[in-house]
Amino acid sequence: MSRHLARALLAALAVIVPACAAADARVFACEPEWAALAGEIGGDNVTVYSATHGRQDAHYIRARPSLIAQVRRADIVFCSGAELEVGWLPLLMERGARREVQPGQPGHLMAADHVEVMERPERIDRSLGDIHPSGNPHVHLDPDNVARLAVELAGRLARVDPANEGAYRSRLADFQARWGTATKRWRARAEGLRGMKVVVHHAAWAYLLGWTGLDRVATLERTPGVPPTASHLRRLVERVRTTSADAILLAPHHRGDAADWLSQRTGVPVVELPFTVGGRDEASDLFALFDVTLTLLEEANNRP
Amino acid sequence: MRVVMRIARSAAVALPALLAGTQAVSQSGTVPSATDLTAEIQALKLEYEARIRALETQLSTIEAKSRAVEREAASPVRRAKSTLDNAFNPSIGIVLDGRYASFSAEESAIPGFATGHESERAPEGLSLGHSEVTASGNIDDKFRGNLTLGLGAHPGEATEVELEEAYVQTLPGAGLPEGMRIKTGRALWTFGYLNEQHAHGDDFADRPLPYRAFLDNTFNDDGVELSFVLPSALYSEVGGGLFRGDDTPFGGSDNGLRARSVYARIGGDIGRDAAWRIGGYLLDGKSLNRGGGGHAHGHEEVAHEEEHEDEHEEEHEDEHAHEEVHEDEHGEDFAGFFSGGAFSGDTQLYGIDVRFAVAPTGNARESEVVLQAEYFWRKEDGTYALAEEEEDGMEHLEELRTDSIAHGWYIQGVYKPLPRWRIGARYAWLSPPDGAEIDHDPHAFGMMVDWTNSEFGRVRLQYNHEALDGHEKDNQFILQYVMSLGAHAAHSF
Ligand SMILES: [Zn+2]
Repeated sequence: MSRHLARALLAALAVIVPACAAADARVFACEPEWAALAGEIGGDNVTVYSATHGRQDAHYIRARPSLIAQVRRADIVFCSGAELEVGWLPLLMERGARREVQPGQPGHLMAADHVEVMERPERIDRSLGDIHPSGNPHVHLDPDNVARLAVELAGRLARVDPANEGAYRSRLADFQARWGTATKRWRARAEGLRGMKVVVHHAAWAYLLGWTGLDRVATLERTPGVPPTASHLRRLVERVRTTSADAILLAPHHRGDAADWLSQRTGVPVVELPFTVGGRDEASDLFALFDVTLTLLEEANNRP
Repeated sequence: MRVVMRIARSAAVALPALLAGTQAVSQSGTVPSATDLTAEIQALKLEYEARIRALETQLSTIEAKSRAVEREAASPVRRAKSTLDNAFNPSIGIVLDGRYASFSAEESAIPGFATGHESERAPEGLSLGHSEVTASGNIDDKFRGNLTLGLGAHPGEATEVELEEAYVQTLPGAGLPEGMRIKTGRALWTFGYLNEQHAHGDDFADRPLPYRAFLDNTFNDDGVELSFVLPSALYSEVGGGLFRGDDTPFGGSDNGLRARSVYARIGGDIGRDAAWRIGGYLLDGKSLNRGGGGHAHGHEEVAHEEEHEDEHEEEHEDEHAHEEVHEDEHGEDFAGFFSGGAFSGDTQLYGIDVRFAVAPTGNARESEVVLQAEYFWRKEDGTYALAEEEEDGMEHLEELRTDSIAHGWYIQGVYKPLPRWRIGARYAWLSPPDGAEIDHDPHAFGMMVDWTNSEFGRVRLQYNHEALDGHEKDNQFILQYVMSLGAHAAHSF
């Protein structure tokens, strides 16, 4: 009887102990796309917190108390980097963060440090806008970048939580297989979009445009982060008409008024893409994010 | 780098060719046969070609190496720094603040409170407000330093330089327990909501009445503060400090360790797009002749010294007797002691702050509502000394013994309907020290509208209606600009 009890206890322990350990690795993700990736690689071995949601502009976030509390407990801080979060992350790090997630530590993972960053400016001056001094930080809309970050994240998770290294490695392998197949599919679809002319609101779409071969004919924000001016918009009307653009791309966190104004005058439709996971209800994970984005672009491109 | 390489390579090709040419010409002087010459030239050509090829290989190796260096330069570790630190160390920030003000009342004193230079009403007309220069940066992996100079330009006076902040604080790499931070020097210490902020970040052109009355706008004494962010799901922070005791609400510290503080605050989210924070604070310390700088007389030198008793228990027990003493001997109000006298004794200042912010779309930059309120409660137990010149030409130091309570609060709301526009309203109220026997409670109402071009430039119009002394109401209009250059603080809550 007692042996049975002991065996049952041991069995229970075998279940409970890993379950406790499972809550060990905490990932603080600055943006929903990195939270989603952490979910893919970490599974139930990690607790993921996303500092922002799909309709928030990650350039401008307040270092509110809840974020300090979350960073305080994080084992990995996973952000876009390249100064996207420069207005709030440093404050969180200074106020709450542990040594293990400070720059240079394995718990400090900035996506832009692991991919080719586009649009690095040659000089920095606030009259050129204030938000992309280290190049374009919106790196997640290129599937290859996501793949690179998946590898990097798995390595970091294994370092901060070595007990579950095996789980991270196997989830990475599984993710890589699925992501690889999906990427092939997306590239094939992108072939059909090549040369599609788009107007963008903010430099947010640079990476998407890069691998899909879309052609940017105009940008509503003349300088990143500075709302479009009326005079600039008036000049754009002519350019958009003559280039016969196919769509005006808008992210959920951008105000649509400038895009709508231009659309009314040029007849070019506004297409609100999800931009990140949760940016639209259908974009519920990283795979859906790319699927939905391509579907919306195809719809706009096939419009007569 | 690559361009330089290319030039170097073409030079490497051109130079041997040129040399080959001159050599050919000089050799032609010895008149060798044409075939010899052709053969020799051929040999030279081959030799130089080999040399060029060798040079080119060398160059391409160098080039490859330099490309590798470039790649390395752009590699993670180096770039990570720029994410959290500024490109320049120390980073410099400048704030320019100017204003045009118009007031309907001549004076703007708060009866029952000794307000200092900092919290005075701005000069009328066009004037410079409070310009600021900040230099800050990480000293190493363990410490961070900050120096802030406030430049006060008072018309007709020399420009006043105030050392607003000069502190060193520990970084998470300093080896302290996790979540702990120590700050030492002079800083805008943790007390209430506004005290930690630089005035140019405020939502209104001036500080609300409780800040002016109890803190002379800010408490930035010399001291050391320890704070600790707890590893809880709910944001919670506790801390405390030791201070010299030389800045309002204290003053005249002699041994340099006369004040201390404790505080605790918690905060969190409500849903996705709303956040809150509540805090409780205490400043406790001793003053020695606070505000008594103008009266040089020591107690011993005073020819005639009188004492007033203002014990409240007594007042209630025997109000008439007290009134008599007051009327008969002096025929003046007690308020003068509180607003003009030098205080020696114990001060306890308690504060509570509440802040609630909601952004309908999650993007505070687009649209936001922020509600904020603070309540201060002060107890002073000690003596107010007031120098008075009497008919005989002698200066007499009169003293008022007091154990009094004063309190005050303000509440404000700011609404951002459009990304560049904000409107706000504020109401502030004070209850002067009960011992001062002032039957009017100073209060003020303010409204503002401001326009923000970018994060770095803001123009504001504010209207204040102040009823501070019960006689005269002050209608104030303030047109203000606040512009910043260089580094600026992060977007705190
Ligand atoms: Zn951006």
